[in-house]
Amino acid sequence: MIEIKKLAKKFAVENPKKLSEQEKKDPRLKGRFFHSVVDVSFACQKGEVLGLLGPNGAGKTTTLRMLSTAITPNAGSIEINGINVLANPLIARQKIGFLSGSTGLYGRLTGRENIAYFGQLHGLSADKITKRIDELADLLDLHSFLDRRCEHFSTGMKQKTAIARAVVHQPEVVILDEPTTGLDIMATQTVLDFIRRLKADGTPVIFSTHHLDEVAELCDKVAVIDKGQSMFSGDTASFRALADGSLHKAFMASIQTTAAQA
Amino acid sequence: MWLVFKKELKELLRDRKTLFFMIALPLLIFPLIFGGIAFMTKQAIEKAESKVLKYALVGEQYAPDISEHLQQPDKFTRVEIAPEADFSQLIRNETVDFVLVIPDNYSADVLTAGQSTIKLYLNDAGLNLVYQRVSEITKQQSALFQQGAFDKLGLSEAQQHALIEPVVLEKVNTADSRENWGEKIGGMLPYLLFILCLQGAMAPATDLGAGEKERGTLETLLISPIERNKIVMGKFLTIAFAGSMTALITVASMAGWGLVLSQGMALKFVADFMGQIGIIDFVLIFLMLVPVVAIFAAVLLSISIYAKSFKEAQSYMVPLVFLVLVPVILALLPGVELKGGWAWVPLTNVALAMKELVKGTMDYFQLIAIFGSTVVIAGAVLAFCVYWFKQEKVLFR
Repeated sequence: MIEIKKLAKKFAVENPKKLSEQEKKDPRLKGRFFHSVVDVSFACQKGEVLGLLGPNGAGKTTTLRMLSTAITPNAGSIEINGINVLANPLIARQKIGFLSGSTGLYGRLTGRENIAYFGQLHGLSADKITKRIDELADLLDLHSFLDRRCEHFSTGMKQKTAIARAVVHQPEVVILDEPTTGLDIMATQTVLDFIRRLKADGTPVIFSTHHLDEVAELCDKVAVIDKGQSMFSGDTASFRALADGSLHKAFMASIQTTAAQA
Repeated sequence: MWLVFKKELKELLRDRKTLFFMIALPLLIFPLIFGGIAFMTKQAIEKAESKVLKYALVGEQYAPDISEHLQQPDKFTRVEIAPEADFSQLIRNETVDFVLVIPDNYSADVLTAGQSTIKLYLNDAGLNLVYQRVSEITKQQSALFQQGAFDKLGLSEAQQHALIEPVVLEKVNTADSRENWGEKIGGMLPYLLFILCLQGAMAPATDLGAGEKERGTLETLLISPIERNKIVMGKFLTIAFAGSMTALITVASMAGWGLVLSQGMALKFVADFMGQIGIIDFVLIFLMLVPVVAIFAAVLLSISIYAKSFKEAQSYMVPLVFLVLVPVILALLPGVELKGGWAWVPLTNVALAMKELVKGTMDYFQLIAIFGSTVVIAGAVLAFCVYWFKQEKVLFR
């Protein structure tokens, strides 16, 4: 399982004068620091899929970057299967499979080489990497383009390859930042099917999204963040119950709470 | 670290832009540029030598011999002008290429008439060879008149030599040919090597730092279970390798093409000169280059990793070329030697040491000190690069 408690992250503002009027009015801007994440907590158990929701600029990506160990929080704790992520980032990285907002593939390497490189970085043997790539190619339908350079890939091909790369080491937790953004229907379905497969295998999956239909289809749990704060964290049924079963209304109700507080 | 290095190298060698700067440019473009310049210069000189020059002669009656020499239709064409004409204007509007004005004291009997000064009016801007071609004629006449005077005076050959040059200063050079050529060429070698290393390292450095940030691959790499100092070292080694290879390929290419273009003329000179330097000094020259390349690679990577984009990185790197040029140019200045304070000026001391190695006059104990101090600087810059790479404010600006 993965559990985060009272996570907070602030960034020094390089040049406050260059901020837009809207950014200057953001209550999270305090002096020379922008408090991107103020207080975020949620948990995702084995075999659960958690949908991380929130408007643009809410702090979703910063939260996921902290979970992935790319950046270090200023406060709070992250635990993955009993491992303190902040104290043991290298161990934690072996347990996490992370897909960032950009696909992050090396354009001059083939899809196979990209996946194999990260397999090697995770310490997998050559044999194991070969087997795992074949397995992932079947699951994500990669065979037709696996040996082509990624710079020539379509958005869907890139995203599917990036997911394969993120899970090549069979991580204990999978974190996906907007995995279906920009994908066509077929590619979206492949990605959603893969998440379902992970769930069936008992792997906790956290993914951020703007698509409530994906939440309805896949998620056991929902966490809503707005202005860097947790507005809701719980199971999908409880979330629906906030607004007579409508995910859209429940989401809007959560956001309006922060607006009212601001 | 080696995993990162191997992968970076694979990507680097698949990048057409890097391959162009690292291999194609040194192998083909530089020789083409230098060969082209040499060809065009040769053409221009041949054209200037074979051009039929239009001239006017004032005071012809005093020097019929010169007038006779100028009567070569394949080389000179005479134009008649008034003696009081504006010579500058005539040259400017291309009526003539030159005007020769003979003084009234021009005479073969120099003992009576004394020295005479012939004025040559010409536009000497640009390559024209007018002075050279006219002076061939006046020199001939001058030699004839001189011989006439000596004969008249009845001087022996020894007396003639003594009269022409009463005191001779004979130079007895204690420096051997290696030291001589080393002084002339040795200063240029580090200049060439430093700039090539820097230029060769720039493109991969931009790609491996700012380029990775821009493409979003850096974040993915940061969350893999590998320590960040190993990521930096992998990238650093790739950049240093690219810089060194560019320098080596370029120098080898220039030497090779030099031999080809000069059709063996340079072979003996190069072979003699190289033969005198010796393998140990060559090894030491390239050994001295190692910490310099390390400094360049670490600085370039630090800059690149700070930049938000490829473009921003390139804009930061251009001034670096000038910063590197300063200490190398200092080493080329007359009077700047590997003594006193200069021995402790970073990069300048390496450039001076390379020059001394080429000349064969290096104090090897001093070389160890310079190598050591440069390694310390390289280590410090690399340590800063590692520290820099671990800063979130740098990675996620």
